[in-house]
Amino acid sequence: MSRDWLVTRRPSRREILAAGAVFTTGVLAGCRRDLRPRVCVARAASYAVDLEPILRAALAEVGVTRSAVAGKRILLKPNLVETATGAGHINTHPEVVRATAKALRALGAGEVLVGEGPGHRRDTILVLEESGLAQVLVDEKLRFVDLNRQRGFAVANAGRRSGLVRLTLPVVLAEVDWIVSLAKLKTHHWAGATLAMKNLFGLMPGSFYGWPKNVLHYAGLQESILDINATVRPQLAIVDGIVGMEGDGPILGTPKTAGVLVVGTSLPAVDASAARVMGLDPAHIRYLAEAAGWLGPIADEAIHQVGENLADVRTPFQLVEKIPAHKALLDQESGAGY
Amino acid sequence: MADATMEGLSDALLAQLAARARPDGSALARPGESESSVEATAWYALALRLAGSAPGATVAAHAAGEALARLQAKDGRVSVSPLNPGAYSPTSIAVLAWHDRPGLATARRRAVDFLLAQRGDHFPRSPASPLAMDTELAGWPWIERTFSWAEPTALALLALDAAGLGEHPRAREGRRLLLDRQIDSGGWNYGNARVFGSELRPTPESTGLVLAALAGRVAEREVSASLAYLDRCAPPLRSPLALGWTLLAWSVWRGQAASFAAQAIGETLARESRYGSYETADLALLAVAAQAPRGLLAALRESH
Repeated sequence: MSRDWLVTRRPSRREILAAGAVFTTGVLAGCRRDLRPRVCVARAASYAVDLEPILRAALAEVGVTRSAVAGKRILLKPNLVETATGAGHINTHPEVVRATAKALRALGAGEVLVGEGPGHRRDTILVLEESGLAQVLVDEKLRFVDLNRQRGFAVANAGRRSGLVRLTLPVVLAEVDWIVSLAKLKTHHWAGATLAMKNLFGLMPGSFYGWPKNVLHYAGLQESILDINATVRPQLAIVDGIVGMEGDGPILGTPKTAGVLVVGTSLPAVDASAARVMGLDPAHIRYLAEAAGWLGPIADEAIHQVGENLADVRTPFQLVEKIPAHKALLDQESGAGY
Repeated sequence: MADATMEGLSDALLAQLAARARPDGSALARPGESESSVEATAWYALALRLAGSAPGATVAAHAAGEALARLQAKDGRVSVSPLNPGAYSPTSIAVLAWHDRPGLATARRRAVDFLLAQRGDHFPRSPASPLAMDTELAGWPWIERTFSWAEPTALALLALDAAGLGEHPRAREGRRLLLDRQIDSGGWNYGNARVFGSELRPTPESTGLVLAALAGRVAEREVSASLAYLDRCAPPLRSPLALGWTLLAWSVWRGQAASFAAQAIGETLARESRYGSYETADLALLAVAAQAPRGLLAALRESH
């Protein structure tokens, strides 16, 4: 029997992490005295405004410079869970994908491609069409990779918070230099909130993890979020909070305009700032609390906040009392001042 | 096939699939790939299985069926990859592809035995659960030792039905599970109708597949809302997966509208350049739909 069925090249963890290490070095080489990760909260009133200059300014603020980006192959990973007429707030808006691609190309990226493995849908093409992303891909000549159905390669689980010894990743992750989590600002009925870290569930191929990604749920939702982040280590996160979702997210909630993009190179720090925009204490979101001091900081004083003042853009997102993950946040945050 | 346009489309689809086949009978997931794909090979073998006496189809069908058999594990499963033997959903497609092939009867019997031995995780219902489903029912999971979901259960039901086991207790339980997961206002999604008291949304690809699997086994009144849902969302569908399963559902529940099918398949193929290349498995599904005007199981029975 042919051995073609086996993946012949299994990149080492060292290889996977190499791009991240180089990038970190590059940022530090900028000689910023304040070594705390920078998170930029940028205002964007709507998707009708030109988002590219906003993103370019935000990227500059967090140290993503031409020298860091030039020549890199970059995978944008938007959040496309499922689609529904009139419910565009479920997914990362296509204009955010477009603006990010243009901004990174303007900084000299060698190639920008887009990949997603929708958590609830097997017909990814239909998701692209219904979400409006297909037209952006065509307009901007962006290659799309259906991560649900890519061949996989196994790597050791660097997090080991769940019982999973190995993770099976789509081969495109071994072919790119950077991964950008292009997340949506949403509540989540199991995790409390879904932001840049949780968005990485969509990297995991449905062919190996199911629809929904049930293997990860069995292994522990919060633990799997940590494991994927510890193993993949994305280089950049952009959270689309122009219109987010409150209430029964990540699917059935209602639109919530926050009017911001949250940008940074440390995913826990970005998520912590995004949570604060939502009026949530990141220390009360379990996976963020456990990421702190390991994958990145979440404490306010440990993050160099740039751009808008968080207090000025804070837009409390409604939680649902009957949802346990929300109830816990409500109970812990009553009187907390977030 | 009565419709000449549909016949032409079938030939075009089979030719397109043939270009993705390897000399050993296996198929690539997409053009340009360096390695064969188990899922693509399974669907390719099924599409060829229905091609009957089309020129070259018999030899190619034999080669594809044999290639698929070489991928079968000792316990009968056909997995997406040896790296992940628990991802065994191609087993159901293999059972269909090996239908009525004397040389592959043993492989098929082992695959059926494997499916019958597999039960998705199931557990007592909890009054506190936010899920409205009956968690005691067992169907089939996407991945071994996880929960039962709608689509792998529907695929297994089609396989068991083709194997003459449509009234097996596992098949009956699988159908109960699918009806339990049906969304009240119509349709199915991945297999969860309601959570925290709110109804979830259906999808055409899931609904088409489940309806195809329930055809002839449940009364129309039990799925009328889902048929109505599919009728509403089908006309603009131009993606191979959703369109393929919609046509296979319509072919048994509605009687396939040949002119719509031909037009929709043609337009879907014309849009392929927009996405690079379609998955071979999805193209093969379209080919299956094009060759099954009275449904998948009828097409298997009628083709030799």
